Amino acid sequence: MKKKKTFNRRDFIQSSIRASLVVSVGGIGGLALKNGTKKDWVWQIDPFECNQCGRCATECVRNPSAVKCVHAYDLCGYCDLCGGYFIPGAVKLDTGAENQLCPTAALIRKFIEEPYFEYEIDEDLCIGCAKCVKGCTSFGNGSLHLQIRHDLCRNCNECSIARVCPSKAIKRVPADTPYLIKGTFTRTTDS
Amino acid sequence: MKKTVIYLFLSLIIVVILVIVIGDFRSTRPDRMSGNPYELDIDGIRSVDPDLITYKETKNYKIDAAQAGGIAVAGGKIFLVADDFLQVFDYGGKQYFREPLPEQARCLEVTATNDIIVGFRNSIALLSPEGEEIWRSEPLDERAVITALAVKNSTIFVADAGNRAVHRYTIDGKYVDSFEGKTRIEGNHGFIIPSPYFDLGVSPDGELWVVNPGKHSLENYTDDGNLRSFLENISREIEGFGGCCNPAHIDIMADGSFVTSEKGVVRIKIHEPSGELSTVVAPPDKFREDGEAPDVAVDEEGIIYALDYDKNLIRIFEPK
Repeated sequence: MKKKKTFNRRDFIQSSIRASLVVSVGGIGGLALKNGTKKDWVWQIDPFECNQCGRCATECVRNPSAVKCVHAYDLCGYCDLCGGYFIPGAVKLDTGAENQLCPTAALIRKFIEEPYFEYEIDEDLCIGCAKCVKGCTSFGNGSLHLQIRHDLCRNCNECSIARVCPSKAIKRVPADTPYLIKGTFTRTTDS
Repeated sequence: MKKTVIYLFLSLIIVVILVIVIGDFRSTRPDRMSGNPYELDIDGIRSVDPDLITYKETKNYKIDAAQAGGIAVAGGKIFLVADDFLQVFDYGGKQYFREPLPEQARCLEVTATNDIIVGFRNSIALLSPEGEEIWRSEPLDERAVITALAVKNSTIFVADAGNRAVHRYTIDGKYVDSFEGKTRIEGNHGFIIPSPYFDLGVSPDGELWVVNPGKHSLENYTDDGNLRSFLENISREIEGFGGCCNPAHIDIMADGSFVTSEKGVVRIKIHEPSGELSTVVAPPDKFREDGEAPDVAVDEEGIIYALDYDKNLIRIFEPK
Protein backbone atom coordinates (compact mmCIF):
# COMPACT_ATOMS: atom_id res chain seq x y z
CA MET A 1 0.00 0.00 0.00
CA LYS A 2 1.35 3.37 -1.02
CA LYS A 3 2.16 5.62 1.85
CA LYS A 4 0.29 8.92 1.70
CA LYS A 5 2.69 11.87 1.58
CA THR A 6 2.10 14.35 4.35
CA PHE A 7 2.61 18.11 3.88
CA ASN A 8 4.07 19.24 7.15
CA ARG A 9 5.13 22.67 8.39
CA ARG A 10 8.72 22.22 7.21
CA ASP A 11 7.55 21.51 3.64
CA PHE A 12 5.31 24.57 3.75
CA ILE A 13 8.18 26.82 4.86
CA GLN A 14 10.51 25.40 2.19
CA SER A 15 7.92 25.87 -0.57
CA SER A 16 7.23 29.40 0.58
CA ILE A 17 10.92 30.31 0.52
CA ARG A 18 11.30 28.82 -2.96
CA ALA A 19 8.24 30.71 -4.22
CA SER A 20 9.49 34.00 -2.70
CA LEU A 21 12.86 33.52 -4.38
CA VAL A 22 11.25 32.88 -7.76
CA VAL A 23 9.00 35.94 -7.40
CA SER A 24 11.93 38.15 -6.29
CA VAL A 25 14.24 37.06 -9.09
CA GLY A 26 11.45 37.37 -11.64
CA GLY A 27 10.49 40.80 -10.32
CA ILE A 28 14.04 42.11 -10.36
CA GLY A 29 14.57 40.73 -13.85
CA GLY A 30 11.31 42.24 -15.04
CA LEU A 31 12.17 45.64 -13.60
CA ALA A 32 15.64 45.54 -15.14
CA LEU A 33 14.13 44.63 -18.51
CA LYS A 34 11.56 47.42 -18.21
CA ASN A 35 14.21 50.02 -17.33
CA GLY A 36 16.47 48.77 -20.07
CA THR A 37 13.84 49.10 -22.78
CA LYS A 38 11.99 52.15 -21.42
CA LYS A 39 11.60 54.86 -24.02
CA ASP A 40 12.71 58.33 -22.94
CA TRP A 41 10.83 61.29 -24.24
CA VAL A 42 11.86 64.89 -24.76
CA TRP A 43 10.11 68.08 -25.84
CA GLN A 44 10.34 69.30 -29.41
CA ILE A 45 8.66 71.90 -31.62
CA ASP A 46 6.55 70.72 -34.53
CA PRO A 47 7.60 73.30 -37.16
CA PHE A 48 4.32 72.91 -39.02
CA GLU A 49 2.32 73.84 -35.91
CA CYS A 50 4.49 76.76 -34.77
CA ASN A 51 2.86 80.16 -35.27
CA GLN A 52 5.95 82.22 -34.46
CA CYS A 53 4.40 83.88 -31.38
CA GLY A 54 7.78 84.81 -29.85
CA ARG A 55 7.18 82.98 -26.58
CA CYS A 56 10.08 80.59 -27.10
CA ALA A 57 12.34 83.61 -26.58
CA THR A 58 10.55 84.95 -23.51
CA GLU A 59 9.27 81.88 -21.64
CA CYS A 60 12.20 79.45 -21.66
CA VAL A 61 13.89 78.97 -18.26
CA ARG A 62 17.24 79.23 -20.02
CA ASN A 63 18.52 82.68 -20.89
CA PRO A 64 19.06 82.94 -23.79
CA SER A 65 16.44 80.41 -24.77
CA ALA A 66 17.29 76.78 -25.56
CA VAL A 67 15.13 77.22 -28.63
CA LYS A 68 17.17 78.12 -31.69
CA CYS A 69 16.45 78.69 -35.31
CA VAL A 70 17.64 75.91 -37.60
CA HIS A 71 17.92 75.96 -41.37
CA ALA A 72 16.77 73.20 -43.73
CA TYR A 73 19.16 74.08 -46.53
CA ASP A 74 17.59 71.68 -48.99
CA LEU A 75 14.35 73.68 -48.81
CA CYS A 76 16.00 77.09 -49.11
CA GLY A 77 15.81 79.05 -52.34
CA TYR A 78 19.11 80.83 -51.61
CA CYS A 79 17.29 84.02 -52.60
CA ASP A 80 18.76 87.49 -52.78
CA LEU A 81 15.56 89.00 -51.37
CA CYS A 82 15.27 86.65 -48.37
CA GLY A 83 12.07 87.02 -46.36
CA GLY A 84 13.82 85.77 -43.24
CA TYR A 85 16.77 88.13 -43.50
CA PHE A 86 15.39 91.46 -44.69
CA ILE A 87 12.83 93.70 -43.04
CA PRO A 88 9.83 94.52 -45.20
CA GLY A 89 10.74 97.56 -47.26
CA ALA A 90 14.50 97.16 -46.78
CA VAL A 91 16.34 100.15 -48.18
CA LYS A 92 18.91 97.98 -49.88
CA LEU A 93 19.54 94.25 -50.20
CA ASP A 94 22.78 94.27 -48.27
CA THR A 95 24.02 93.32 -44.82
CA GLY A 96 23.45 96.78 -43.34
CA ALA A 97 22.02 96.56 -39.82
CA GLU A 98 19.12 98.77 -40.82
CA ASN A 99 17.97 96.14 -43.34
CA GLN A 100 18.19 93.10 -41.10
CA LEU A 101 15.16 91.50 -39.55
CA CYS A 102 16.96 89.57 -36.80
CA PRO A 103 17.11 91.63 -33.59
CA THR A 104 20.45 90.06 -32.66
CA ALA A 105 21.99 89.78 -36.15
CA ALA A 106 22.13 86.01 -35.69
CA LEU A 107 21.37 85.32 -39.34
CA ILE A 108 24.48 85.56 -41.50
CA ARG A 109 24.18 86.21 -45.22
CA LYS A 110 26.91 84.87 -47.45
CA PHE A 111 27.30 85.44 -51.17
CA ILE A 112 27.70 82.15 -53.03
CA GLU A 113 27.54 83.14 -56.69
CA GLU A 114 25.22 85.41 -58.64
CA PRO A 115 22.30 85.35 -57.76
CA TYR A 116 22.60 82.90 -54.81
CA PHE A 117 23.02 83.76 -51.14
CA GLU A 118 23.35 81.37 -48.24
CA TYR A 119 21.88 82.09 -44.81
CA GLU A 120 23.51 80.62 -41.74
CA ILE A 121 22.48 80.87 -38.09
CA ASP A 122 24.89 81.94 -35.38
CA GLU A 123 23.43 79.90 -32.52
CA ASP A 124 25.28 81.85 -29.86
CA LEU A 125 23.39 84.96 -30.93
CA CYS A 126 20.03 83.36 -31.73
CA ILE A 127 17.40 83.90 -29.03
CA GLY A 128 14.66 81.84 -30.68
CA CYS A 129 12.34 84.79 -31.29
CA ALA A 130 11.08 83.34 -34.62
CA LYS A 131 11.09 86.68 -36.38
CA CYS A 132 13.12 85.24 -39.26
CA VAL A 133 10.93 82.12 -39.21
CA LYS A 134 7.83 84.23 -39.77
CA GLY A 135 9.52 86.14 -42.58
CA CYS A 136 10.71 82.93 -44.24
CA THR A 137 7.34 81.22 -43.81
CA SER A 138 5.40 84.25 -45.06
CA PHE A 139 7.51 85.01 -48.12
CA GLY A 140 9.67 81.99 -48.78
CA ASN A 141 9.77 78.21 -48.56
CA GLY A 142 9.74 78.02 -44.77
CA SER A 143 13.24 76.57 -44.57
CA LEU A 144 14.02 78.50 -41.36
CA HIS A 145 12.27 77.00 -38.33
CA LEU A 146 12.65 76.63 -34.58
CA GLN A 147 13.88 73.61 -32.66
CA ILE A 148 14.63 72.97 -29.00
CA ARG A 149 18.36 72.27 -28.78
CA HIS A 150 18.77 69.37 -26.39
CA ASP A 151 22.36 70.26 -25.62
CA LEU A 152 20.99 73.49 -24.13
CA CYS A 153 17.60 72.34 -22.82
CA ARG A 154 17.47 71.14 -19.20
CA ASN A 155 15.16 68.31 -20.27
CA CYS A 156 13.47 68.68 -16.90
CA ASN A 157 10.15 67.41 -18.24
CA GLU A 158 8.45 70.64 -17.16
CA CYS A 159 8.82 72.73 -20.29
CA SER A 160 7.74 76.24 -19.42
CA ILE A 161 7.24 77.15 -23.09
CA ALA A 162 4.98 74.15 -23.72
CA ARG A 163 2.67 75.42 -20.99
CA VAL A 164 2.04 78.70 -22.76
CA CYS A 165 2.49 77.74 -26.43
CA PRO A 166 -0.72 79.02 -28.06
CA SER A 167 -0.57 76.61 -30.99
CA LYS A 168 0.41 73.55 -28.92
CA ALA A 169 3.38 73.11 -31.20
CA ILE A 170 5.62 71.70 -28.47
CA LYS A 171 5.23 67.95 -28.26
CA ARG A 172 6.83 64.95 -26.64
CA VAL A 173 9.04 63.03 -29.03
CA PRO A 174 11.17 59.92 -28.48
CA ALA A 175 14.61 60.84 -27.14
CA ASP A 176 16.31 58.77 -29.81
CA THR A 177 14.75 60.98 -32.53
CA PRO A 178 14.71 64.31 -30.71
CA TYR A 179 14.53 66.71 -33.67
CA LEU A 180 11.76 67.48 -36.15
CA ILE A 181 13.74 69.03 -38.97
CA LYS A 182 11.78 70.14 -42.01
CA GLY A 183 12.56 68.16 -45.11
CA THR A 184 13.08 64.85 -43.33
CA PHE A 185 10.08 65.55 -41.08
CA THR A 186 6.96 66.40 -43.04
CA ARG A 187 3.54 67.57 -42.01
CA THR A 188 1.66 64.88 -40.13
CA THR A 189 -1.89 64.06 -41.14
CA ASP A 190 -3.29 65.36 -37.88
CA SER A 191 -1.35 68.63 -38.21
CA MET B 1 -18.56 90.89 17.95
CA LYS B 2 -20.70 89.04 15.39
CA LYS B 3 -20.55 92.03 13.05
CA THR B 4 -16.77 92.17 13.29
CA VAL B 5 -16.50 88.52 12.22
CA ILE B 6 -18.81 89.16 9.26
CA TYR B 7 -16.77 92.21 8.20
CA LEU B 8 -13.55 90.22 8.50
CA PHE B 9 -15.04 87.38 6.48
CA LEU B 10 -16.28 89.74 3.74
CA SER B 11 -12.89 91.51 3.61
CA LEU B 12 -11.18 88.15 3.25
CA ILE B 13 -13.50 87.21 0.35
CA ILE B 14 -12.81 90.56 -1.36
CA VAL B 15 -9.06 90.02 -0.99
CA VAL B 16 -9.35 86.49 -2.40
CA ILE B 17 -11.41 87.76 -5.36
CA LEU B 18 -8.89 90.54 -6.01
CA VAL B 19 -6.00 88.06 -5.91
CA ILE B 20 -7.81 85.79 -8.40
CA VAL B 21 -8.63 88.70 -10.76
CA ILE B 22 -5.08 90.12 -10.65
CA GLY B 23 -3.59 86.64 -11.03
CA ASP B 24 -5.78 85.99 -14.05
CA PHE B 25 -4.90 89.38 -15.51
CA ARG B 26 -1.19 88.68 -15.14
CA SER B 27 -1.49 85.09 -16.32
CA THR B 28 0.46 84.02 -19.43
CA ARG B 29 -1.69 81.05 -20.32
CA PRO B 30 -2.07 80.43 -24.07
CA ASP B 31 -5.41 82.22 -24.45
CA ARG B 32 -4.11 85.29 -22.63
CA MET B 33 -1.35 86.27 -25.02
CA SER B 34 0.67 89.28 -24.11
CA GLY B 35 2.07 91.25 -27.03
CA ASN B 36 4.91 89.64 -28.94
CA PRO B 37 7.95 91.88 -28.54
CA TYR B 38 9.44 90.27 -31.64
CA GLU B 39 6.36 90.56 -33.83
CA LEU B 40 7.03 90.81 -37.56
CA ASP B 41 4.19 92.88 -38.91
CA ILE B 42 3.38 91.91 -42.48
CA ASP B 43 -0.11 93.39 -42.45
CA GLY B 44 1.19 96.29 -44.52
CA ILE B 45 2.15 93.91 -47.30
CA ARG B 46 -1.02 91.86 -47.02
CA SER B 47 -3.30 94.87 -47.21
CA VAL B 48 -4.13 96.23 -50.64
CA ASP B 49 -5.54 99.63 -51.58
CA PRO B 50 -9.21 98.84 -52.44
CA ASP B 51 -8.98 101.16 -55.47
CA LEU B 52 -6.46 98.76 -57.02
CA ILE B 53 -8.90 95.84 -56.84
CA THR B 54 -11.04 95.95 -59.95
CA TYR B 55 -12.26 92.35 -59.91
CA LYS B 56 -14.81 90.60 -57.72
CA GLU B 57 -15.47 86.94 -57.07
CA THR B 58 -18.75 85.99 -58.70
CA LYS B 59 -18.92 82.22 -58.52
CA ASN B 60 -17.06 79.20 -57.28
CA TYR B 61 -17.32 75.49 -57.89
CA LYS B 62 -16.37 72.78 -55.43
CA ILE B 63 -13.93 70.17 -56.71
CA ASP B 64 -14.54 66.58 -55.76
CA ALA B 65 -10.90 65.52 -55.48
CA ALA B 66 -8.16 65.01 -52.94
CA GLN B 67 -5.47 66.84 -54.88
CA ALA B 68 -6.23 69.40 -57.58
CA GLY B 69 -3.69 69.61 -60.41
CA GLY B 70 -4.24 72.37 -62.95
CA ILE B 71 -6.86 74.38 -64.78
CA ALA B 72 -7.31 75.70 -68.33
CA VAL B 73 -10.14 77.46 -70.14
CA ALA B 74 -10.86 77.45 -73.87
CA GLY B 75 -13.85 77.59 -76.20
CA GLY B 76 -16.38 78.22 -73.45
CA LYS B 77 -15.21 75.25 -71.39
CA ILE B 78 -13.32 74.80 -68.14
CA PHE B 79 -10.76 71.97 -68.16
CA LEU B 80 -9.56 70.57 -64.87
CA VAL B 81 -7.10 67.86 -63.93
CA ALA B 82 -7.20 66.58 -60.38
CA ASP B 83 -6.13 63.32 -58.76
CA ASP B 84 -6.13 60.91 -61.71
CA PHE B 85 -8.99 62.31 -63.78
CA LEU B 86 -9.78 64.98 -66.35
CA GLN B 87 -13.01 66.89 -65.96
CA VAL B 88 -14.55 69.26 -68.49
CA PHE B 89 -17.53 71.50 -67.82
CA ASP B 90 -19.09 74.69 -69.06
CA TYR B 91 -18.84 78.10 -67.44
CA GLY B 92 -22.09 77.41 -65.63
CA GLY B 93 -20.58 74.34 -63.94
CA LYS B 94 -22.43 71.73 -66.02
CA GLN B 95 -20.18 68.74 -66.59
CA TYR B 96 -19.50 67.55 -70.15
CA PHE B 97 -17.43 64.55 -69.11
CA ARG B 98 -15.04 63.14 -66.57
CA GLU B 99 -12.37 60.73 -67.81
CA PRO B 100 -9.88 58.70 -65.78
CA LEU B 101 -6.16 59.27 -66.38
CA PRO B 102 -3.38 56.70 -65.95
CA GLU B 103 -1.77 58.65 -63.07
CA GLN B 104 -2.02 61.90 -61.18
CA ALA B 105 -1.93 64.84 -63.58
CA ARG B 106 -0.36 68.16 -62.66
CA CYS B 107 -1.10 70.55 -65.52
CA LEU B 108 -2.87 70.81 -68.84
CA GLU B 109 -3.28 72.94 -71.95
CA VAL B 110 -5.81 73.04 -74.78
CA THR B 111 -4.76 73.25 -78.42
CA ALA B 112 -6.38 75.34 -81.15
CA THR B 113 -8.18 72.19 -82.35
CA ASN B 114 -9.53 71.56 -78.81
CA ASP B 115 -7.25 68.60 -78.17
CA ILE B 116 -6.08 68.44 -74.58
CA ILE B 117 -2.44 68.09 -73.53
CA VAL B 118 -2.00 66.71 -70.03
CA GLY B 119 1.22 66.85 -68.03
CA PHE B 120 2.10 64.06 -65.58
CA ARG B 121 5.16 64.01 -63.34
CA ASN B 122 7.60 63.07 -66.10
CA SER B 123 5.56 62.59 -69.26
CA ILE B 124 2.85 64.28 -71.30
CA ALA B 125 -0.13 62.94 -73.22
CA LEU B 126 -2.37 64.27 -75.95
CA LEU B 127 -6.07 63.55 -75.54
CA SER B 128 -8.89 64.06 -78.01
CA PRO B 129 -11.53 66.72 -77.22
CA GLU B 130 -13.55 63.83 -75.76
CA GLY B 131 -10.71 62.82 -73.42
CA GLU B 132 -9.44 59.73 -75.28
CA GLU B 133 -5.68 59.26 -75.29
CA ILE B 134 -4.05 59.82 -78.70
CA TRP B 135 -0.44 59.41 -77.60
CA ARG B 136 1.67 59.51 -74.51
CA SER B 137 5.32 60.54 -74.51
CA GLU B 138 8.25 58.48 -73.28
CA PRO B 139 8.97 59.40 -69.66
CA LEU B 140 11.69 61.96 -69.01
CA ASP B 141 14.38 61.14 -66.45
CA GLU B 142 13.66 60.55 -62.75
CA ARG B 143 14.43 64.15 -61.81
CA ALA B 144 11.68 65.52 -64.04
CA VAL B 145 8.79 67.39 -62.44
CA ILE B 146 6.53 68.76 -65.14
CA THR B 147 4.70 71.83 -63.89
CA ALA B 148 3.27 73.62 -66.93
CA LEU B 149 2.49 73.31 -70.62
CA ALA B 150 2.00 75.71 -73.51
CA VAL B 151 1.29 75.13 -77.17
CA LYS B 152 2.10 77.15 -80.28
CA ASN B 153 1.02 75.84 -83.66
CA SER B 154 2.61 72.39 -83.80
CA THR B 155 5.04 72.83 -80.91
CA ILE B 156 4.41 71.92 -77.29
CA PHE B 157 6.53 73.61 -74.62
CA VAL B 158 6.91 71.69 -71.38
CA ALA B 159 8.19 73.34 -68.18
CA ASP B 160 10.22 70.85 -66.12
CA ALA B 161 11.01 72.22 -62.66
CA GLY B 162 13.08 69.17 -61.68
CA ASN B 163 15.52 69.59 -64.58
CA ARG B 164 15.16 73.41 -64.65
CA ALA B 165 14.49 73.26 -68.36
CA VAL B 166 11.85 73.81 -71.01
CA HIS B 167 11.42 70.83 -73.34
CA ARG B 168 10.02 71.08 -76.84
CA TYR B 169 7.82 68.39 -78.35
CA THR B 170 6.02 68.22 -81.67
CA ILE B 171 2.26 67.96 -81.60
CA ASP B 172 2.80 64.30 -82.61
CA GLY B 173 4.58 63.62 -79.34
CA LYS B 174 8.16 63.64 -80.64
CA TYR B 175 10.77 65.16 -78.32
CA VAL B 176 12.71 67.90 -80.11
CA ASP B 177 15.12 69.55 -77.66
CA SER B 178 15.40 71.42 -74.35
CA PHE B 179 16.76 74.75 -73.19
CA GLU B 180 17.71 75.95 -69.73
CA GLY B 181 17.47 79.70 -70.23
CA LYS B 182 21.23 80.16 -70.15
CA THR B 183 22.87 82.93 -72.15
CA ARG B 184 26.38 84.15 -72.68
CA ILE B 185 25.72 87.06 -70.31
CA GLU B 186 27.95 86.71 -67.24
CA GLY B 187 26.08 85.60 -64.17
CA ASN B 188 23.10 84.25 -66.09
CA HIS B 189 22.50 80.80 -64.66
CA GLY B 190 19.37 80.10 -66.60
CA PHE B 191 16.20 79.09 -64.85
CA ILE B 192 16.41 79.24 -61.07
CA ILE B 193 13.74 76.98 -59.62
CA PRO B 194 13.99 76.71 -55.83
CA SER B 195 10.65 74.92 -55.51
CA PRO B 196 8.32 73.17 -57.97
CA TYR B 197 6.73 76.32 -59.37
CA PHE B 198 7.72 76.90 -62.98
CA ASP B 199 5.13 78.20 -65.41
CA LEU B 200 5.10 79.34 -69.00
CA GLY B 201 2.64 80.57 -71.62
CA VAL B 202 2.31 81.64 -75.22
CA SER B 203 0.85 85.08 -75.85
CA PRO B 204 -1.79 85.70 -78.52
CA ASP B 205 1.04 87.13 -80.64
CA GLY B 206 2.82 83.80 -80.44
CA GLU B 207 5.55 84.87 -78.00
CA LEU B 208 6.82 82.31 -75.53
CA TRP B 209 7.01 83.67 -71.98
CA VAL B 210 8.69 81.63 -69.26
CA VAL B 211 8.71 82.50 -65.56
CA ASN B 212 12.14 82.50 -63.98
CA PRO B 213 10.83 82.28 -60.41
CA GLY B 214 14.19 82.54 -58.62
CA LYS B 215 14.74 85.85 -60.36
CA HIS B 216 11.12 86.98 -60.04
CA SER B 217 11.11 87.63 -63.76
CA LEU B 218 9.11 86.86 -66.87
CA GLU B 219 11.40 85.97 -69.74
CA ASN B 220 10.57 86.07 -73.42
CA TYR B 221 12.21 83.36 -75.54
CA THR B 222 12.33 82.55 -79.20
CA ASP B 223 10.85 79.17 -80.03
CA ASP B 224 14.29 77.59 -80.05
CA GLY B 225 15.17 78.90 -76.60
CA ASN B 226 17.07 82.17 -77.10
CA LEU B 227 16.36 84.88 -74.56
CA ARG B 228 14.82 87.89 -76.27
CA SER B 229 13.76 90.13 -73.38
CA PHE B 230 12.67 89.96 -69.77
CA LEU B 231 10.51 91.78 -67.24
CA GLU B 232 11.87 91.84 -63.71
CA ASN B 233 10.48 93.53 -60.63
CA ILE B 234 11.77 92.22 -57.30
CA SER B 235 9.67 93.66 -54.53
CA ARG B 236 7.36 92.45 -51.79
CA GLU B 237 5.09 95.41 -52.50
CA ILE B 238 2.01 94.93 -54.63
CA GLU B 239 3.79 96.31 -57.73
CA GLY B 240 6.35 93.50 -57.88
CA PHE B 241 7.10 89.88 -57.11
CA GLY B 242 8.74 88.94 -53.85
CA GLY B 243 9.39 85.92 -51.72
CA CYS B 244 10.64 82.69 -53.14
CA CYS B 245 9.63 81.42 -56.57
CA ASN B 246 7.21 84.03 -57.82
CA PRO B 247 5.11 84.40 -59.83
CA ALA B 248 4.15 80.79 -59.17
CA HIS B 249 1.56 80.64 -61.96
CA ILE B 250 0.73 82.80 -64.96
CA ASP B 251 -1.65 83.01 -67.87
CA ILE B 252 -1.67 85.50 -70.71
CA MET B 253 -4.68 87.63 -71.64
CA ALA B 254 -5.89 88.48 -75.15
CA ASP B 255 -4.11 91.87 -75.01
CA GLY B 256 -0.82 90.32 -73.89
CA SER B 257 -1.21 91.27 -70.21
CA PHE B 258 -0.07 88.72 -67.64
CA VAL B 259 -2.33 87.24 -65.00
CA THR B 260 -0.02 86.28 -62.14
CA SER B 261 -0.54 84.23 -59.01
CA GLU B 262 1.93 84.42 -56.13
CA LYS B 263 2.81 82.19 -53.21
CA GLY B 264 3.86 83.31 -49.74
CA VAL B 265 1.63 86.35 -49.64
CA VAL B 266 -0.97 84.75 -51.89
CA ARG B 267 -2.49 87.18 -54.39
CA ILE B 268 -3.61 87.37 -58.00
CA LYS B 269 -2.76 90.41 -60.12
CA ILE B 270 -2.66 91.54 -63.73
CA HIS B 271 0.50 93.09 -65.14
CA GLU B 272 0.70 95.07 -68.37
CA PRO B 273 2.61 93.52 -71.30
CA SER B 274 5.39 95.93 -70.30
CA GLY B 275 5.44 94.54 -66.76
CA GLU B 276 3.82 97.35 -64.76
CA LEU B 277 1.04 96.44 -62.38
CA SER B 278 -2.32 96.90 -64.06
CA THR B 279 -4.80 95.77 -61.41
CA VAL B 280 -5.36 93.44 -58.49
CA VAL B 281 -7.75 90.56 -59.07
CA ALA B 282 -7.74 88.98 -55.62
CA PRO B 283 -5.89 90.40 -52.59
CA PRO B 284 -4.24 88.17 -49.94
CA ASP B 285 -7.28 88.26 -47.63
CA LYS B 286 -9.16 86.19 -50.22
CA PHE B 287 -6.87 83.24 -49.52
CA ARG B 288 -5.66 81.19 -46.59
CA GLU B 289 -2.73 82.96 -44.93
CA ASP B 290 -0.28 80.08 -45.40
CA GLY B 291 -2.02 78.80 -48.52
CA GLU B 292 -0.74 77.71 -51.90
CA ALA B 293 -0.68 79.95 -54.94
CA PRO B 294 -3.73 79.12 -57.06
CA ASP B 295 -3.28 78.07 -60.67
CA VAL B 296 -4.86 80.66 -62.95
CA ALA B 297 -6.52 80.68 -66.36
CA VAL B 298 -8.12 83.54 -68.24
CA ASP B 299 -10.79 83.43 -70.92
CA GLU B 300 -11.26 85.65 -73.96
CA GLU B 301 -13.42 88.10 -71.99
CA GLY B 302 -10.83 88.63 -69.27
CA ILE B 303 -12.64 86.50 -66.68
CA ILE B 304 -10.15 84.79 -64.40
CA TYR B 305 -10.48 81.23 -63.12
CA ALA B 306 -8.39 80.44 -60.05
CA LEU B 307 -7.83 76.93 -58.80
CA ASP B 308 -7.75 77.27 -55.02
CA TYR B 309 -5.83 74.23 -53.76
CA ASP B 310 -6.54 74.97 -50.11
CA LYS B 311 -10.31 75.29 -50.39
CA ASN B 312 -10.64 72.81 -53.29
CA LEU B 313 -12.54 75.35 -55.33
CA ILE B 314 -12.52 76.82 -58.78
CA ARG B 315 -13.04 80.52 -58.06
CA ILE B 316 -14.23 82.85 -60.77
CA PHE B 317 -13.27 86.52 -60.73
CA GLU B 318 -14.96 88.98 -63.07
CA PRO B 319 -14.27 92.70 -63.66
CA LYS B 320 -16.41 94.86 -61.37
